[in-house]
Amino acid sequence: MTLKRVRVVIVKEWREAFKGGKTVWIGTVAIPLILLGISLFQLFHISDFRAIPPEELPRVVGAVFLVPLLYFLMFPLVIPHSIAIYAIMSEKEQKSLEPLLAMPLRTGELFLAKTLASVLPAVGITWVAFGLFLVVIQALLPASVLELAWQQFSPLWGMALGLFAPLAATFMTLAAMAIATRVSDLRTAQLLSSFAMLPVLMSAFFLVLQETLSRPELLGLLSVGLLVLDMWLLLLNVKLFGREEILTRWR
Amino acid sequence: MIVAENLTRRFGDRIAVENLSLEIAEGEVFGFLGPNGAGKTTTVRMLAGLLAPTGGRAVVAGVDVVAQPQRVRTLVGILTEHPGLYEKLSAWHNLKFYADLYDLPNPQAQIEKYLRLLGLWERRFEPAGTFSKGMKQKLAIARALLHEPRVLFLDEPTSGLDPEAAKTVRDFIAQLASEKRTIFLCTHNLHEAEQLCTRIGLMRQRLIRVGSPTSLKRELYGRQIVIELQEPWTASEDLHLPFVRSVQRDDRRLLVELDDPEQHNPTLIKRLVELGAQIQFVREQDRTLEEVYLELISEEQR
Repeated sequence: MTLKRVRVVIVKEWREAFKGGKTVWIGTVAIPLILLGISLFQLFHISDFRAIPPEELPRVVGAVFLVPLLYFLMFPLVIPHSIAIYAIMSEKEQKSLEPLLAMPLRTGELFLAKTLASVLPAVGITWVAFGLFLVVIQALLPASVLELAWQQFSPLWGMALGLFAPLAATFMTLAAMAIATRVSDLRTAQLLSSFAMLPVLMSAFFLVLQETLSRPELLGLLSVGLLVLDMWLLLLNVKLFGREEILTRWR
Repeated sequence: MIVAENLTRRFGDRIAVENLSLEIAEGEVFGFLGPNGAGKTTTVRMLAGLLAPTGGRAVVAGVDVVAQPQRVRTLVGILTEHPGLYEKLSAWHNLKFYADLYDLPNPQAQIEKYLRLLGLWERRFEPAGTFSKGMKQKLAIARALLHEPRVLFLDEPTSGLDPEAAKTVRDFIAQLASEKRTIFLCTHNLHEAEQLCTRIGLMRQRLIRVGSPTSLKRELYGRQIVIELQEPWTASEDLHLPFVRSVQRDDRRLLVELDDPEQHNPTLIKRLVELGAQIQFVREQDRTLEEVYLELISEEQR
């Protein structure tokens, strides 16, 4: 396996996906920006921290910071969706797989490149969004609130961004690719792979509603579940990415 | 340059290619003909290292396709049935992607060379999706040639092209052949095969017949001379010539099948004149490759 070939395919995937129209831009850039905007709006306009009695502050901070956390759990699920589907469906629609497989490219390299082409932007954009979030709250929130937020959320943020985000992005990418290999049109692929993210999102929502998401062990449990799903999807995709499978069954 | 021995490919219970054996020399343009579903594309995929055979072996450009398929793919160029271009990318970026996958030392120069040769240089920054079918086919040919392969597999290179574009592509294939590249040409266009190919292989799951277009015609129909007469020939006497295999009379036309017309035609004509025939024209009956193809396919079906 050569990393150069993997890199060449990743660059092609990005170049193609971002010329692919609105869907990819909306899915990868616009939605995260909108969600980030909403979470910041919520923090600054709904929660007037200065009016809250000091003894109430820890509880309020614990509740209002759960929503941005949920968004940061959503980003790695939402972002890779469009690119992963595009990576497979565009090859099918353009019948470009056979010429691609005629190159000195191993199917493992192709699979890795297509996976990374979706996972890297998802994790990257999630991290960038979180960086922006931090910059804004650092600049505008009172020091007491920030201190509380750090105390309560730093292990969760660390786990969400360092562990959950890559696992969730990998899960969504592998699920979307497995679905896209089996269907023949873009809309069906988008619809079916949207369903794939539901169980994970619903689990996260459930934990928010129960106000238990602030417990790192539950987020850890969710990550372990994702890891198991990722392993299973990886095995499925390795089979689906067999050269003969691609040449004879990807229609 | 290409050697296949009992090459076989099964898909479950179905046999796509059965015991294909053939040898193609360097610089040869080999036409691979056969009806749809005859196993032509599967054969190309096996020879180009895309699909593993389930039986037999093949060596292409000195490399075993089973043991080293990836190496084979670096040595051959393939034009697939569909151009399969990235339609949103420009012609340049399409070729750049493949040039980088081949890890060419000077990709820009190679891309420029083939875009200029195929008349696409001026439109290099336009998306491939805006190109006509002929331009897309040319771009796909450029892609197959970027790494200067000595063996080229061309699957239906002129299919669906208008006559002018088809001629451009055919001329380009002829030019490639003159550079001593080995070309394996799958086509349904029998006129094209006859024009370009040094040998033809007829395929229907297995290889039915191989030979040059001329030898296949002679093998199937022998050599026939058409003699046009001024008046219908009514002589009841036989020709009594040992080299004549058959004679068909049709009003003012005789169709004579004979061995070695170059040697025996003068004797034949002399004999006809002796028998009172008033000869206007003498020519060799020209069979088309289409006739040969249809005859061999129907023979195979019987």
